[in-house]
Amino acid sequence: MASETVLDVRDLATTLGGKTIHRGVTLSVARGEVVALIGGSGSGKSVLLREIIGLIRPAAGTITLLGEPVWPLLPERMARLRQRFGVLFQDGALFSSLTVEQNVATPLREHTRLAPADCLRLARLKLALVGLPADAAGKMPSELSGGMRKRVALARALALDPELLFLDEPTSGLDPVSARAFDRLLRLLADSLGLTVFLVTHDLDTLLSITDRAIVLADGRVLGAGTLDALKRIDDAWLAAYLSARANEGR
Amino acid sequence: MNPARLEFDAATATARAAGDWRVRDPDLARIAPLPEGAVRVLDGSGITALDTGGAWKLIASTVAQGDPGQLTLSGFGAPQRAILDLVIRHYGATRGAVGGRPPGLLAQFGRGALAVWRDLVGLLDFMGRLSVEWLALLRQPGRFRWRELGAQTQTIFVNAIPLAVMMLFLLGVVFAYLMGVQAQKYGANIFVVDGVAMAVTRELSPVIVAILVAGRSGAAITAQIGTMKVTEEIDAIATLGLSPWLVLVMPRIIALLVALPLLVFLGDVAGIFGGLVIAEHQLDISPSMFVDRLDSVLEPKFVWVGLAKAPVFAAFIGLIACRMGFAARRDARSVGENTTSTVVQSIVAVIILNAIFAIVLDYLGI
Repeated sequence: MASETVLDVRDLATTLGGKTIHRGVTLSVARGEVVALIGGSGSGKSVLLREIIGLIRPAAGTITLLGEPVWPLLPERMARLRQRFGVLFQDGALFSSLTVEQNVATPLREHTRLAPADCLRLARLKLALVGLPADAAGKMPSELSGGMRKRVALARALALDPELLFLDEPTSGLDPVSARAFDRLLRLLADSLGLTVFLVTHDLDTLLSITDRAIVLADGRVLGAGTLDALKRIDDAWLAAYLSARANEGR
Repeated sequence: MNPARLEFDAATATARAAGDWRVRDPDLARIAPLPEGAVRVLDGSGITALDTGGAWKLIASTVAQGDPGQLTLSGFGAPQRAILDLVIRHYGATRGAVGGRPPGLLAQFGRGALAVWRDLVGLLDFMGRLSVEWLALLRQPGRFRWRELGAQTQTIFVNAIPLAVMMLFLLGVVFAYLMGVQAQKYGANIFVVDGVAMAVTRELSPVIVAILVAGRSGAAITAQIGTMKVTEEIDAIATLGLSPWLVLVMPRIIALLVALPLLVFLGDVAGIFGGLVIAEHQLDISPSMFVDRLDSVLEPKFVWVGLAKAPVFAAFIGLIACRMGFAARRDARSVGENTTSTVVQSIVAVIILNAIFAIVLDYLGI
């Protein structure tokens, strides 16, 4: 079971609106890893994430997710595959017309045969797992702070106990204290539930504190991948500036 | 596939779980809960797969509302034990009542009444604030946004012309036809002209055009202002030293005040033309006879009354639409609800105002 590949992207190319975004992206993620995808603004990180989860169609190349090719994939098989991974969108993307616990219970009601009351109880368990107080369950998403909304979105992404979790900028828009708490929560859940986590991030602290490995996307290609020490040896102006950004901040 | 099973041995108070306990497995829902308080030992040596959803179901089936901390766990592998411990630690959060009862008839009635009251108070408050803004504008008339007024007049008036003309034409046709069927029985064909002229100019055109504009532009105004609130554009306008009233509300209300009488006039013409077409085809009234009769029976005051109602309707549609836009909370559901509410409130307001007009005008003998 060691180092089984759960995500494999080969020679991926993307053109959106006449603009080339990826020209041959190749990367892979093994089971149990926490991997960050980093890169400058406009380097196509979010587009790559959307292609992996089957929302945008790449121009060329293959994506294999949990042993299934993503493009092309028949709709019903894609639907089944989607139950095996969870996605946390940048702004949470909670359904504003449902309460917090109903938001989390939605995937359970759609994809399991549990009774509605059981779905809501299980939703409360997930909310407790992500560290939300019990009184948050009955609130509407608009009544919550940004950090709590992210936690609810995480609980929803974890509702079906996915093997793989995709996160788009999990700590953006959070204050540093909430962001670090969210990082710790992610690492704790990843370890205790045996999750594989693939996250797109700008946040250097997230990168340093919770990831096993980072993949750098630049100029439509994978510039390099590996631990922080490995990244520091790559000769690239943007990467060097990025990795030294924190050192400069301190002064 | 290895379906989840749960067996109970009463002699040793032991529950034995086996199979795949995963939340997506359909068999999980079929597990029957064991009697509460009966289980003291939970044996998981037969479990082949476990996730948090499955673990929760396992605990819920063995202890229900009880305390899972009292269970003696045996036979679980280390990773399964870790998941189970995590679930047991948070199990307390999942107890308690789930889902309240839907509110009763009386409660709904009360809430509805309260909502109507809040809307009325909110509208009054909005009118007051707007009046103050008008006064401020009078002192500095140069601040008015003419360009915005032009853009709004384009969408509210010009773009609505084809729809308004077509609707009133068809209404004129139907009205003249139905009246013609009755009038023909008495040989009173020519009176259809009187009926069409009066009904279209005085009632049909103002009310139908107002309802059309309420549905078309009122909804658009609420949705637009509401969405601008969601994206914090209104805060940005205020921060840039501009007044949201000046930029958003006043041009829209003035555009409505201009557009509605003009649309009503076009509707008058279209409706009467519809009557003319039917009169020629069904009632053997030639266009020249129709116009001749129209000239002698259509008093200008009917047209003026219809045109005078239009700005009143327009003012209420504009007030309601802008207010509901500003009253939207920062989420998609609220914008949708307020847009619906704008259309309902505007149409109700138009019909009530029209009734008031009818009574007052009758009292004044007009």
